[in-house]
Formats: sequence, structure tokens, C-alpha cells
Amino acid sequence: MEQTFTKSNTRRKPRGWLVILDYVFYVAIVAALGAFSYYLFQFRDSIVLFFPTFLQGAGLTIFLSVSSMILATIFGFVGALGRLSRFAPFRIIAAIYVEVIRGTPILVQLFAWGFGVRALLEQVGFDPYTIAYNFMTLLQNNSIVPSPFVFDAVFYGIVGLSFNYGAYLTEVFRTGIESVPIGQTEAALSLGLNSRQIMRKIVLPQAFRITIPPFANYFITLVQDSALLSTIGGVLELQQLTNAAATANASNANLQLFFYVFGALMFFCICYPLAILARYLESRYARAY
Amino acid sequence: MDFSIIPQALPEFLHGALNTIIYCVVSFPLALLLGLILALMGSSRFIWLRGPARIYIEVIRSTPFIAQIFLIYFGLSTILFNISNHFGSANLAVYVNGWTAGIAALAINYSAYEAEVFRAGFLSVERGQTEAAFSLGLNSQQNFFRIVLPQAVPLMIPPFVNDLIYMLKDSAIVSVIAGLELTAVLDTWRIRHGSDPIPLFILAMVLYLLLSLPTSYFARWYERKLRAAL
Repeated sequence: MEQTFTKSNTRRKPRGWLVILDYVFYVAIVAALGAFSYYLFQFRDSIVLFFPTFLQGAGLTIFLSVSSMILATIFGFVGALGRLSRFAPFRIIAAIYVEVIRGTPILVQLFAWGFGVRALLEQVGFDPYTIAYNFMTLLQNNSIVPSPFVFDAVFYGIVGLSFNYGAYLTEVFRTGIESVPIGQTEAALSLGLNSRQIMRKIVLPQAFRITIPPFANYFITLVQDSALLSTIGGVLELQQLTNAAATANASNANLQLFFYVFGALMFFCICYPLAILARYLESRYARAY
Repeated sequence: MDFSIIPQALPEFLHGALNTIIYCVVSFPLALLLGLILALMGSSRFIWLRGPARIYIEVIRSTPFIAQIFLIYFGLSTILFNISNHFGSANLAVYVNGWTAGIAALAINYSAYEAEVFRAGFLSVERGQTEAAFSLGLNSQQNFFRIVLPQAVPLMIPPFVNDLIYMLKDSAIVSVIAGLELTAVLDTWRIRHGSDPIPLFILAMVLYLLLSLPTSYFARWYERKLRAAL
């Protein structure tokens, strides 16, 4: 270690012969991409046959994620207001909600919604399909609601996902609101704003900035966790279709494996652009005003 | 709701909870080891070390765990079956079961997240510390093991404990490939008692909470202590 006093000297130039491995790496990347393309090309018949179905599944995955995120935002916002409330019972209920949801696996919760709560509500006579059907008929003459089996599964799936993510977003929103310095509130009070105006015009706009990067990250994990709905059955999203296609071809092990590879590839194509977007947002909002 | 089912179900559920703990205890050190290797590769100045680590981390973090677990379970068994066919040896695919594939999937998935924790931990040690160490004549190994690592480890413990809790919860997904842990036990009992499954769900959730809440309180307590010490 000679001359390592300054920043520029501590990062030495790569030694000659190891640089060759960099070019080996580039060649290996191209070769791996080629090999993967060839692997997919081998199953071109299955791709042609199943790609439209998988695209529909991807569409349902995105629909599930977006609608769950909207509902989860509502849950999270109400939860955050509850946790910051001055009224103790609200605080306690919100705290129990967050602790219980964040302490148990989402898979168990989805089971509980899809099998437990569903059976319980059916005994009481609650039927989301009929309600949706009547509501849609109220709006239009030819009501378009998917079949009861699909609709109920999607309904309980969205409720389960958003109830889970609501707890995580509660904490995101709470830390966002708490991170606004108390001086802002005091200044607003001294200017004569009332507490509702302070929340709406001073605190929330500033808290919003801080919550955007974690919000985007949670959206990506939500897209990934929507794959868990394949375990409760009836929701024809990407993972469910992958499992169905793979199980149907279980006699041919290579073909079965191909479907799992293809499903994971579709998820990657959805999630990786979102990850790049999240990283951009993070760098964008890390800067000062 | 008939809670009298709980005493019958409890022994099996406790056994399932024990299996969940075994999954985590075995997978987490493996994930830490892989994650450390990935983090060190990722901070290398050679692209042939940095590139594979980045690609691995990006691919793992952009696909759902359930897709990975199916891929590993069926991929491993298919590859091992093809290899044993090719060499004419005994079928190696019989060794791929809920335990091996589940532990491999958990370790592979979590190593990508642990690598990020390691990287953030190493970056959080100020550059000036390294410069001071070099100016005192330490070499880069001594600098890493005596200066950077001892300062980075306490900062990395809270995120590690959080990831352990996440792993505890994600180990539930191992039940889809015949892993015999708490959620799999819950699923068999749910099918057996389909008319009234709510008490079983409550029992499973309470067991998961008993495992995760003390751990998360420890993480929070440690973080508070750490923040007070800094």
C-alpha cells in the first residue's frame, strides 16, 4: 500500500491481466443471453400457444396490484391518522392492527380471508358477487361482472392484500407525518391556521415527498405478493396461470420447468421497470427543494 | 366458531412452528454468507466481479418469492434428474424435497437483500476512517477487519433482525412445495375442518406473533440503544 493518503489514490487502477476478465465477462453476458434466447426458442410452440393467456394474467396481476394499492393507501391513511390520534382507543386499535398484520405472514392472512372470512360471511349471507351485480345493473343495463367464482376470489384477494399492505403503509405515512418538523406546525399555528388547515396545507404536502420512495418500493413488493393469490385459487393471475400450465404438462419435466421460467420472466418484465422507476424517484426526492 | 378444536390441533401446530424456526435458523446464516460474498463482489473494482453480483441481486429482487421457490424446486429436480440420466447414476432428484429446496430458496432469495444491507453498512462507515487507517500504515485487509467491520456490524444488526422476521413470515410460502411448517399444518387442518376454520387461523396467527413480536421488539430496543450510543 503505497501513497494511499488521498481519495483518488486509494482506488487504484486495475492491474493489466485482470482487465482481460472484464472482456470475458462481457462475452459471457452475451453468451448467456444467447443461450437463454435459445432455451426460449426451443419452446416456441408453447410460447405461441400460451402467450396471449399469460398476457391476460399479467393484466389481471397489474389490475389486482393497482386496485389493492389504492385500497391499501386508504387503509394506511386511516391507520396513520389513528396512530397519531389524541384519542387513546383509536391509537390502540391502530397499533394492534399494525402489530398483528406485520407480525403474521401474508400467506396466512390471504388464507384467512379467502377461506375463513369468506365462509363466515357466506353463513351470514354476505355475497360480494350479488352486491357487485346489483350495483353494476344499477349503473347500466347489461351488467358485466365476471362469474361468481372468479369475482369472489378476486374480491377477497384484493381485500386481503390491501389489508396487509395498509399496515405497512400506516407506518410509512406515520413516519412521513412525524418527520415534518414541529416548527412548521408552530409557525402555521402562529399564522392563525386551524388544525385541519395545518394538516392539509402544511404537514401533508411535506410528508408526501418523504413517503413517495417507500410507497413505490411497497408497490413493487405488492406486485410480487399478488402472486400469492394463486394459493387461494380462482384468481387467474400470472402465477396461477403458470402453475396451471406447468401442472398440466407435469409429464414432461423440461416443459414443466419452462413454464415456471416463463412465469418468472413475465414477473421480471413487470417488476424490473418498476424498480428502475422507484430508484429514479428515490434519487429525485432525495434532493432538496 | 368452535374453539374446542384448538387443544387437539395444538401439538401439530407447535411442531409446525418448530419446523418454521428450523427453516429460518438454517437459511439465515446461509443467506448472510452468500450476501456477504455478493456485497464484497459488488464493491469490487473489477466488472467481472461486480456485474454478476448486480445481475443476481436485480433478478432476485424483481421476481416473486413464490415463483423462485417453484423454479428452484422443479428446476433442481429436473436438472438433477437429467444429470443422473446422462451419467447413468442413481436418481439424484430424490434429494430435492420441501426441506432442501425450501432452505435453498430462502437462502438464495434473502442473500440478495442481505447483500444490500452489508453494502449499506460498509458505506455507512466514513471514508475518513479508512484514510486514517491507511495513514497509520494498516493494509487493506487490516483496515477492513479491524476498522470497517467492527464499526459496521452494530449498524447492520437491526436490519438483519428485521430481515429475519421477514424470513420467518416468508417461510410460510415454503408450504406450497410440501415444506412441513406451520402454514402447511394450518392448511391440512383447514381442509380437514373446512366448515369452521377461523379458530385454526387464529391459532396459527398467535403462534406466528409469538415468534415475530419478541424479535421485532428486540430489534427496536437495540436500535434505540444504538441511537443513544451514537
